[in-house]
Amino acid sequence: MPLAFLSEGEECDIVEVRGGRGLVQHLFDMGFTPSTRVRVLKSNPPGPMLVEIRDSRVALGKGITIKIIVNRSDGR
Amino acid sequence: MGELLRDDAELILAERRYQAIADILESTLTKGEGKWTYTDMFDHVFLHKALGIPIFLAMLWAVFQFTFSLSEPFMVMIGMIFGWLGGLAEELIANPHLASFVAGGIFDGLGSVLVFVPPIFMLFLALSLLEDSGYMARAAFVMDRIMYKLGLHGRSFIPMMIGFGCNIPAIMATRSIDNEKDRMITILVNPLISCGARLPVYVLIAGAVFGAKYAGTVIFSMYLLGMVLAIVMALVFRKTLFKGKPSPFVLELPAYVVPTAKTTILHMWERGKWFLVRAGTIIFGTVIVIWFLSVHPWAATAGGEMIGNSYIASLGHFLEPIVRPFGWDWMAAVALLFGFLAKEVVVGTYGILLGVEEGAVGASLVSLGLFTPLTGLAFMAFILIYVPCVATIGVVAKETNSYRWAAFVVVYLVALAFIVSGLIIGIGRLLGFS
Amino acid sequence: MITVAIIGNPNVGKTELFNRLTGMKQHVGNWPGVTVEKKTGTFTYRGEEIRVVDLPGTYSLTAQAADELIARNYIVDEKPDVVVDIVDGTNLERNLYLTLLLLELEANVVIALNRWDMVKERGIVIEVDKLSELLGVPVVPTVAPTGEGAEVLKEVVMKAAKEKEVRRKIVMGYGEDVERPIGVVEDAVRKDASLSGRYPPRWLAIKVLERDGQVLKLVEESPHRAEIMAAVK
Repeated sequence: MPLAFLSEGEECDIVEVRGGRGLVQHLFDMGFTPSTRVRVLKSNPPGPMLVEIRDSRVALGKGITIKIIVNRSDGR
Repeated sequence: MGELLRDDAELILAERRYQAIADILESTLTKGEGKWTYTDMFDHVFLHKALGIPIFLAMLWAVFQFTFSLSEPFMVMIGMIFGWLGGLAEELIANPHLASFVAGGIFDGLGSVLVFVPPIFMLFLALSLLEDSGYMARAAFVMDRIMYKLGLHGRSFIPMMIGFGCNIPAIMATRSIDNEKDRMITILVNPLISCGARLPVYVLIAGAVFGAKYAGTVIFSMYLLGMVLAIVMALVFRKTLFKGKPSPFVLELPAYVVPTAKTTILHMWERGKWFLVRAGTIIFGTVIVIWFLSVHPWAATAGGEMIGNSYIASLGHFLEPIVRPFGWDWMAAVALLFGFLAKEVVVGTYGILLGVEEGAVGASLVSLGLFTPLTGLAFMAFILIYVPCVATIGVVAKETNSYRWAAFVVVYLVALAFIVSGLIIGIGRLLGFS
Repeated sequence: MITVAIIGNPNVGKTELFNRLTGMKQHVGNWPGVTVEKKTGTFTYRGEEIRVVDLPGTYSLTAQAADELIARNYIVDEKPDVVVDIVDGTNLERNLYLTLLLLELEANVVIALNRWDMVKERGIVIEVDKLSELLGVPVVPTVAPTGEGAEVLKEVVMKAAKEKEVRRKIVMGYGEDVERPIGVVEDAVRKDASLSGRYPPRWLAIKVLERDGQVLKLVEESPHRAEIMAAVK
């Protein structure tokens, strides 16, 4: 499911990152690679999301959170 | 070659790099606790769903408050020093040409500009503090939702904030926006953000025609008008010239830190120096030209006593028909003409044209009946919108790598200024104001 | 004169450390052809003058972002004697990514392990010597706001500049399955002596595999382009 669907406090693992080449490369470089753990810290749709990844905090706009496909870590 | 890299080389290489890092850190790093303790606490408040935006607005208000209350004594002091120097020059210099030049040209003109050094530097100090502490990135976060609706994203927001100080560093700050369309829109609307140089004009006119009681509200409404116009124009540009969606917003929010004095001051200096550079070059040069035109022909003006006979008056009368429909006179025409070079010059021009000191300009404007509240309001709106200063136009040309875009900015802003001021006058008259 | 480039992720205290090293002796200009600010400064260490160039703060070194391209072109074209990579000690995982890219570029890297005070405060333990050994580059803990470590950093930078030619180059392995294709492309790239003389061949090979726009253009101009592209297939 897209990262956008998760709510605050939930954790997930990245499955896939979709989108244009520049964006995907940028997200990879920032550590958004498959099977990386992501925790949602703030989510106030339709605004951006704040996530914790690799011990840093990254704000992601609405356009991106639907392109990052994740699995909830509890397997749901 | 291996199947492995055929489609996803970037992905696999990035993954492996992070794997290598994980392997290295495995044996060299023991994670501690509490890295995000303070950041979590602050973010709980600053990024709050409902409170985030009000808090940001309160911050903005505090920044302005801080800027103006802290710099006011300095402004008064600088104004006094230049007034005194001017008086001294008139007394001590025997040659009337030279005395007029030093007192009227240098001290009156330049003094009226330099009084704005304190508020501009204070504003940059406050903005640098917000940026260096990590708050600015949070402001971008909370404003992203609104900015997105406007066809921009959170990153465009920081240049807008800096624009309150000066449009030049603001336009340079758009470099952090990687999408070319987003960046262009941000650059094109930035001149509408009311910079520090426009403030003196508002203070002068609003103070004169609305009185101390309402001046503050009127000035704030000018800032608001600028923001609203920037928003409207951003939408227009997004729908016409730069179609498409804003590029994705990705921004690391650093842990909050206490900024160090040295870095913050250097940061302030890097931005504020633009104002000094302009004051020393363009503004100074313009003021000298205005002074020269206002006291010549020397005999006819009796050394600047009868300004109505000067070259500048002829120039003003020539341009007056253009501004007459707005209820402005030839002095306004001259002030606007030279305001092309730098907005601060408008105040200095009135200082020279009315032949009075800093503090007395406002009173003369009223006693001479040059502005009514309605025409004054329209004048302020015109000052806000029409053409940023020459230096900003230069930066637009440089940053967009095109003189055409710079010319476009000039044309659209002048047109917009005529439309908005015309609307103010038209609606005002319909409502029975004069 | 020795030239040192400073690089690092955004928000790691890079500007602070740059100011700390150079004091107020700074010059601001633009990078040629683009409008990104270029700050340079100098400092003197034991009578020797050292030029410091502040590179844009970036996470990566791709050809897609103007900032990243500037930093990367400076390192490959101007070949500064030393590249000081400022790493936020409280966020090693993210920050070392850029370090690995710099090592791929065969830059003469010195790591400034910044925010060392916060590292200690938060009870993070970093084995500096081991980190240095594994990465094959000197690592100097620093605290930019107070200037702690700045003198040691200067000394280490000087030493690294002097020992540039004899330094130990560590190759970060990507794992056998990835190293094989890299090796194949690298062999093909090496056939173009002029290209592989100008840029590190292994880096070129990796960038060709990543379909990096700028490097593909270089390959396009190479007389051996057919062989190189065949190696990719």
